[in-house]
Amino acid sequence: MHEKLEKEALWQFGGYGFLVAVTMVMMFPIYWVVVASTLPQSAIFAGGAGELPRLIPGSNFLANAEALAARPEVDFYRSMLNSLVIAVVYTGLALLFCSMGGFALAKYDFKYKRTLFMGILGTLLLPTNLLVIPLFLLVSNMGLSNSYWAVILPWAAYPLGIFFMKQAMQSIPDSLLEAARMDGASEFQLYYRVVLPSMKSSLAALAVILFLFQWNLFLWPLVVLREGKYTIPVAISKIMSNDMIAYDQLMVASAMAIVPMFVVFILLQRHFVNGILGGAVKE
Amino acid sequence: MSRQLLVPLLDQVRFKREQLKDRLPTLPGTPLLFLSPFFLLFGVFLAIPVFYTFYLSFFTFQGVSTEALFAIDIGAYQIMIPEMANLQYVGLDNYRRLLTDSVFYQSLLNTAIIFVVQVPLMVALALGLALVLNAAYTRYKGIFRSLLLLPVSANTVAYSAVFIVIAAEGGIADIALGAVGISPIDWLSDGFWARNLVAFMSVWRWTGYNMIIILAGLQTISPSLYEAAEIGGATKIQKFRHITLPQLKPIMLFVFVTTTIGVFKKFAEPMIVISSGGPINETRTIVYYIWQVAFQNLELGYGSALTVALVAIIMTLSLIQFKVS
Amino acid sequence: MTAITLDGLTKSYDATDMDDIPDNEIVAVEDVDLEIEDGEFLVFVGPSGCGKSTTLRCIAGLEDATGGEIRFGETVVNDLRPRDRDVAMVFQNYALYPHMTVRKNISFGLRLSSTLTTPEIDSRVTDVAEMMGIEDLLSKTPDELSGGQQQRVALGRSIVREPGIFLMDEPLSNLDAKLRAEMRTEIQELQNDLDVTTVYVTHDQTEAMAMGDRIAVLNDGLLQQVAPPEEIYRSPANEFVAGFIGSPSINFFDVSVDGQTLTDPSGFSYELEDHSVEDDTARLGIRPEDLTIEEGGDDMTVTVVEKMGNENFIYGTVGDTEVVARTEVTVRPEPGQRVGISFAESAMYLFESETGAAIKTKTDEIEPQAAQF
Repeated sequence: MHEKLEKEALWQFGGYGFLVAVTMVMMFPIYWVVVASTLPQSAIFAGGAGELPRLIPGSNFLANAEALAARPEVDFYRSMLNSLVIAVVYTGLALLFCSMGGFALAKYDFKYKRTLFMGILGTLLLPTNLLVIPLFLLVSNMGLSNSYWAVILPWAAYPLGIFFMKQAMQSIPDSLLEAARMDGASEFQLYYRVVLPSMKSSLAALAVILFLFQWNLFLWPLVVLREGKYTIPVAISKIMSNDMIAYDQLMVASAMAIVPMFVVFILLQRHFVNGILGGAVKE
Repeated sequence: MSRQLLVPLLDQVRFKREQLKDRLPTLPGTPLLFLSPFFLLFGVFLAIPVFYTFYLSFFTFQGVSTEALFAIDIGAYQIMIPEMANLQYVGLDNYRRLLTDSVFYQSLLNTAIIFVVQVPLMVALALGLALVLNAAYTRYKGIFRSLLLLPVSANTVAYSAVFIVIAAEGGIADIALGAVGISPIDWLSDGFWARNLVAFMSVWRWTGYNMIIILAGLQTISPSLYEAAEIGGATKIQKFRHITLPQLKPIMLFVFVTTTIGVFKKFAEPMIVISSGGPINETRTIVYYIWQVAFQNLELGYGSALTVALVAIIMTLSLIQFKVS
Repeated sequence: MTAITLDGLTKSYDATDMDDIPDNEIVAVEDVDLEIEDGEFLVFVGPSGCGKSTTLRCIAGLEDATGGEIRFGETVVNDLRPRDRDVAMVFQNYALYPHMTVRKNISFGLRLSSTLTTPEIDSRVTDVAEMMGIEDLLSKTPDELSGGQQQRVALGRSIVREPGIFLMDEPLSNLDAKLRAEMRTEIQELQNDLDVTTVYVTHDQTEAMAMGDRIAVLNDGLLQQVAPPEEIYRSPANEFVAGFIGSPSINFFDVSVDGQTLTDPSGFSYELEDHSVEDDTARLGIRPEDLTIEEGGDDMTVTVVEKMGNENFIYGTVGDTEVVARTEVTVRPEPGQRVGISFAESAMYLFESETGAAIKTKTDEIEPQAAQF
C-alpha cells in the first residue's frame, strides 16, 4: 500500500515537474525578447571575452525604439498601423461574409447546396501559401496591387470560417426562425436580430481565429505590398535584409509585435479555444 | 429627458423601415443572396487560382509587365489589363525540369526532415502536457494552459527573429548549453542544426495548440473506462496503451493531418533563418524555394509547376493518413 | 376573428432520394376539407405522422400547400407569407428568443410589423403579461424561466399581436403532467375570454376531448372525422376513430355474422335484437366502461386486476383477444379466474371488417344528472 502511494507520488512529482519545466522553457523566449528590447546591441550577445549577455532589463528601450523609427525603408510604426487596420477590417468583413454564408448553408435548402458545400470542404486542406502565384497575377490585373484590399479580399472567403459558422448555426432550432417569421421578420431581420445575437460566442471565437490569421500572414503581404504599406511581419523581415543586422532594433520591433498581442490574446483565449475545438472535434 | 425625445424619433425610423420592408419582395433566392458575397470572393480568389496555377504551369513568364494587354478608356478612368511579361507556352518543359531539379528534391528533403524532427517531439510534448493537465492532482491548470497556448499568438516573423537571436553565436542558447557542459552549437551556420532549429521553433509555436486539442479529446474519454481497468488491475502504462491511445485516435489523426499541412506551408521560419545568414541549402523548405523561383528569379511558370507538384504531394499524404486511420 | 376553410388541402413531399417510396412522393396531407368557424376551438388529433402538424403549418404559411386552397374568411391565403396572414403560433418548444428579455420576446412581433408607438407597445405588453401572470418576469431572459413560465411567455407573445387566428402545435407536450392539466384549463379560459379562432394540434386524445369545441381526427394524412367530442366518442365514423379516442381504448372483436348472431373465434357469441348485419364478418367494439364482468361465467380469463381506488380495471383474454373492462371497486376477480362478460346492445359498436366504416354506433341514452342546463 505504501509502495503504491510512493509510486503515485513519484508520478505526480514527475508529471508536475515536467509541466513546470516545459512551461518555463516555453516562456523563456518571451521573457528574453522583452529584456533584449531594452538592451543595446552589444549586450544582447556574449562578448568575445566570455561576457554573458545580460538577463535583466536594461534601459535602452527608448533608444532602440528611436533607432528603429529612423529607418525609413522599414517604417515600422507605419507597419504597425497597417497591420492593425488590415486585421480589423479583414476580421469584420470575413466575419460578415462567413456568417451570412454559414447561415444560408445551415438553414436553407437549395439546389446544388451539397456540391457547393463539398467544394468548400475541399479547399480546407489547401495550404494558403500555395495560391500566391496566381493570386499575385489576379490581384495585379485588378489593379489592387500594393493596397490594403490586396491583403484583405483574397482571404475574406475563409473556408474554415464558413464551415465553422454553419456548424454553429445548425444548432439553432428551426422553430425559432419560424416564430420570427410569424412575428413578421424578413429573412435578413432573421439573420440580424435572431441568429447573430444567439451566436455571440461563436462569432467571438471565429473573430479571434480570423484576426490571428491575418495578423500572421507573411508570404502574401511580402509578395504584394510595397513600401509604406508593409505589415508587421514584412517590416521585420526588412530589418534583417541588411548585411549588418541591427539586433537591438530587431528585438525592439519583435517585442512590440508580440507582446501587445499576447495581452490581447490572454484576454480572448477562451474564445480562441472554443473556436479551434469547435472545428477540430467535428473532424 | 433626451430619451423622451428620442423614442418617438426611433418609432418613426421603425415605421419607415417597415414600410420599406413590405415593399421588398421576399426573393425565393434569399439564401443565394446571403451566400453571394462569400462565393464571389471564394470563386475569384480561391477557386480560380487553383485552376489558374495548373494552367500557368505550362508556360514561362516573368510576371506582370508594364505593357498593356488592352486598355479601356472611359473618360476619367483608364482600366488597363497588363500583359504578362514574356509569356511563352512551353508544354511540359516545366515538369521535366522539375524532375531533374536537385534543389527541388533537396528542399523536399529539408521539409521532410523538419517534419520528422518536429512532429514526434511536438506530439509527444503535447500529449504529455495534456495528460498532466488532465490529471486530478494538477493545480493552477488554467494558468498553465494559458501560458502554454500563448506562443500560438506570436507573430511568425517576430518570434523567428527572437529565436535567431537566442540561437546565434553568443546567444542564450549557447550559454545554456555551456552550463550543462556542451560546447556551443553553430545553429546558424551548420546545416544540420539549422534545420533542427527550424523544427524546434515550430515545436515552440504549436505545442500549446495541439495540447489544447488533445486535452479536449482526453476529457471526452469516459472515466468509467479507467475505473474498470483499475479494478481489473491495470497499471498506468497499460491504461495508457489500451484506453487512452485508442480513444484518442481520431484526435491524433486530426493533429497529424493539420501538422503535415502546416509543415508544408512553412515559410516564415526558414526565411528568417536564411535572412540572418543561415545555410540556405539545408533550410530551404519547399515553399521557400517556390517563392525564390517565382518572386526572386521571376520564373513564375516554373513556380506554378512546382506548386502543382506540391499540392499533389500534400493531397497524397493526407489521403494516406486518412486511409491508415 | 376569422373563419378558416380548408378546401382539398394536400401537401406532399418530393422523395426522389428514397428508393422505397412509390411515385417518389410522400403525401403528408391528402385532400382535407374542413370549415372552422370564427371563434371556434378546433383540435387536430391523431397519431405521430398523421399530418396534423403539417396541416397546421400549411395554415400558418410555414409550408406551401401542394394542392387545394386555404381561405381565411373570403380571402385565399395560399400565396401569402406567414406575416401577412395575421396568425400567431405557439410552438412545442416555445421558440423563445434566447438572447432577449421576456418583454422583448413578447414585443418582438409588434416592433417588427405594427405601427404602434413604443409607449403603446409597452403598455400592451404589460397588459398581456398581467393577463398571463408573468408581469414579474418581464426583465428576465428565457433561460431563467421554468417550463411553465416559458410556455406562458410563448402564449403571451401570440396574444399580444391580437391576431385573427391562434395556432398551437402541441404546446403542452413538454410539460409535466400536473402543469399540463393546469395549463390546459388556462388555455381554455383564455380562448373563451379572447374568443379568437384557435387551431390546436395534439397527439393526446384526452387533451383533445377536454379542450376542443370540435375535434378533427387525422390518420395517415386523411381526415377521418370532424365532430364535437361527444359525437366523436359515441358515433365514431370508423374503427380508427373509435380506437383512437377513449382511454383505456375500446375493445375490438373480430366476429363472424350469421343473421343476428355474432360469434367470436373463441366461441363467445352475442345475439343482436334491434339490428342486423349484411356481411359475413364484422368488427365488434365495446368500450371498457360498458363491459360488465359476471361471476361464474366462462367467456374470459382474467390476467391482471388494477385497483385504482375509485374504479377497477380488469384485463383479460377472450380466446386470443385482449380485453379490458372498467368496473366498480366491488368487482374483484382473481388473476386466472374465468369470468363471464356481457354488454348492452345499445352501447355496442359495429364496424365493417374491410373498410372499418361504422355500421352501428352507440345508441344508449345519456341521462343528465340534473335538470337541463
